[in-house]
Amino acid sequence: MSADLLAALDEFAPSARPVDTRAPRLRPVEQAAVRRRPRLAYGIVAVLGAAAIVAAQMVVSILTTQDTYAISTLTSQQRQLTWDRQILYDEVAGLSSPQYLAANASALGMVISEAPTFLRLSDGALVGASQAAGWQSSIDAVGRGAVANALITQTPLVTDPAATIEGTPVEVTDETGQSVIPPALTDGLPTPTTR
Amino acid sequence: MTGRSTRSPRRRTVVAMFIVLAVIGAFVIRLVDIQVVNANDHIEQSLELGLSSSQKTYGTRGTIVDENGATLAGSIVLYDAQLDPKLVGPIDRTIDGEDVKVPWETISAEIAAVTGQTAEEIQAIVAAALAENPESRYARLTSGLTTAQYRELADMKIPYLAFVAHPARTYPDGAVAGNLVGFVGSDGTPLAGLEVSQDGCLASTDGEIRYQRGGDGVVIPGTMTEKPAVDGGTLQLTINRDLNWYLQQLIAEQTQNTGAKSGSIFVVEVKTGAIRAAAEYPTVDPNAPTAVDESDRASRIFRNTFEPGSTFKALSAAMLVDSGTANPFSVVHVPFRQTFDNGASVRDDLQHPDYDYTLNGVLVNSSNVGISTFAGMMSDQARYDYLTKFGIGQGTDVDFLGEANGLVRDPSQWDNQTKYNTSYGQGLTTTVPELANAYQAIANGGLKLPLRLVESCTAADGTVTTPDNGEPTQVISPEAARQVTDMLENVATKGSVSEKVGIAGYRIALKTGTAEKVDPGAGTYKVGSYFTTIAGFAPADDPQYVVVVTLDEPTTIKSSSANAPAFREAMTQVLKTYRIMPSNSASPDLPTFG
Repeated sequence: MSADLLAALDEFAPSARPVDTRAPRLRPVEQAAVRRRPRLAYGIVAVLGAAAIVAAQMVVSILTTQDTYAISTLTSQQRQLTWDRQILYDEVAGLSSPQYLAANASALGMVISEAPTFLRLSDGALVGASQAAGWQSSIDAVGRGAVANALITQTPLVTDPAATIEGTPVEVTDETGQSVIPPALTDGLPTPTTR
Repeated sequence: MTGRSTRSPRRRTVVAMFIVLAVIGAFVIRLVDIQVVNANDHIEQSLELGLSSSQKTYGTRGTIVDENGATLAGSIVLYDAQLDPKLVGPIDRTIDGEDVKVPWETISAEIAAVTGQTAEEIQAIVAAALAENPESRYARLTSGLTTAQYRELADMKIPYLAFVAHPARTYPDGAVAGNLVGFVGSDGTPLAGLEVSQDGCLASTDGEIRYQRGGDGVVIPGTMTEKPAVDGGTLQLTINRDLNWYLQQLIAEQTQNTGAKSGSIFVVEVKTGAIRAAAEYPTVDPNAPTAVDESDRASRIFRNTFEPGSTFKALSAAMLVDSGTANPFSVVHVPFRQTFDNGASVRDDLQHPDYDYTLNGVLVNSSNVGISTFAGMMSDQARYDYLTKFGIGQGTDVDFLGEANGLVRDPSQWDNQTKYNTSYGQGLTTTVPELANAYQAIANGGLKLPLRLVESCTAADGTVTTPDNGEPTQVISPEAARQVTDMLENVATKGSVSEKVGIAGYRIALKTGTAEKVDPGAGTYKVGSYFTTIAGFAPADDPQYVVVVTLDEPTTIKSSSANAPAFREAMTQVLKTYRIMPSNSASPDLPTFG
């Protein structure tokens, strides 16, 4: 390290400098070049470019923010509609059930016929028992509605607003205004006690 | 230039460069590790540390639909309401341009009007919470509010009233197929029926949304990440909703009319093995399972076993004909009571003189002695093997939650009496689905198809999976099946219930059963209480549907005649529902006596 340094210093030692007889490598310029005017256009372009970038960024930012607000509004709208849909779904729940349909039809006096009869489309022939339906329905959909549906227990029938799928409520009140419901018969007719 | 002076600095440069490169390399590796390899973990971490909020999103539990797509079980949203007792107090409101302080008493009355509680109850809830902890910030007000109730309460803008939405279940058709569909608890846990056994199809996966909010509550752009919730699949059953409802109403009326404990009607499609209806009474409305007794909340059809009685004579006849032991015209001598060589004693239901019955006559008059005599011509093992092939004691492929299997003991365990009792369906047990499946085999040319209750499961992404069903089994030959069907038609036209089961224009094949019931306490058969059954199919010339009607201990009529009106109505409705055309021919008339 120190040997290198010494060797380098040695080269710059003034005493042993030989005289250079060749022409000098550096010389003054005869005539200074005319200074060119700076091009204004480049500057303007650069400034405008920067401005454009800033502006574009602001526009994009504003648009994004606006979109965010639009999304926010739409989201709350969607939420409101979801609630509406849920409310409507709750309101009609159970109305499409077969027991409600049958109870309504039964309240209109419609009966379920026992004997199946078919009308053949190809030749118009009646196939089957071809009997008229009796007065009695094969099941009593409104009087003895036995297939429960808690969703529509209190819902009045469309065709008979006094009845529900569980039949017509018998509400008897005595003088005190208390509801008197006769006890249900579960074990057949009561037998009188005779002595 | 290669002197000592120049070589040294270059080496230093190279060494320095390597060090720099190594450091840069280490940073690059770490960067890639952070940004690419473990990026998700760090995002998670940053979200946890950051100011983001997250929201759980619920997937919708799948619907259960019938064979035509009518909804049997669907999902709705219910709301729980909770109060912040510490903040409870008067509210500032502007009424007619005036600022008024509305007292808590009025507010609680307003809330009560919506929730169905009383103002006192609500005040008590708050008072109780504050008494326990004066700093209390939470008191449960009520749960299970509908959306309409929730909106009404939310529109009151009460600052200390908050709501939590949670998914809930609704059953639009109420008790229709409620025994099969099952129900879920108030916390959403499936508790019964297909809701439990098909939970893998129906269950949804919850999702999550994470985001950062600005000061005005708007989500800051670019901060929202969503893990979407996955909805449950749609479970399609083979059940026909309208048919099932009709049969439920029918069996309810018939169970009440006959004074029976319970009753059921089971319908199987002969050519596919699909269960089209499984109606029973009493049963459960999944909307309100607690309204009925606990024993009525599950399906008796699938969970009860019983001694079938004379409906098994059809199976005995089938194995006799298929094995070539007898044919419908084979004759045996039948006294009212018969004591067999091994000491077993069998008697018929009604007193009668000695007859020479054909096999057909044995079925038509449901003679225990006759079928026992015929069964004695086969080995016990052969009869056992046939019963097993018919699926008795094997359960069904439905694999319903808690499904019971019948029990046929190994012939080595049969005592002298059981050897004959089993030929007319006593001394062994079965289930309604097993019995229906055996009759399905007879109706389908001897080919037993696996019973099916689930048609398919359609996942949220549209992939359809159908359950893995078992293999069909040829139990008896098609010729044997035809001969048995002919005899069962004679039962329908000439047997004890012939005047009650006829459907104009159709050929019906059936067998009745009035089975004795074991009194579990005494270990003997009950006196005067029977389990009555009619199993049959129509149209007998081209069988399409098997119908099994059962009544447990009917009291007004104690024999299987009690089931006859229900069987006729049920079969009529099945034929109407599936537009089965009347038969073009008459039932064969086989001899009863030899």
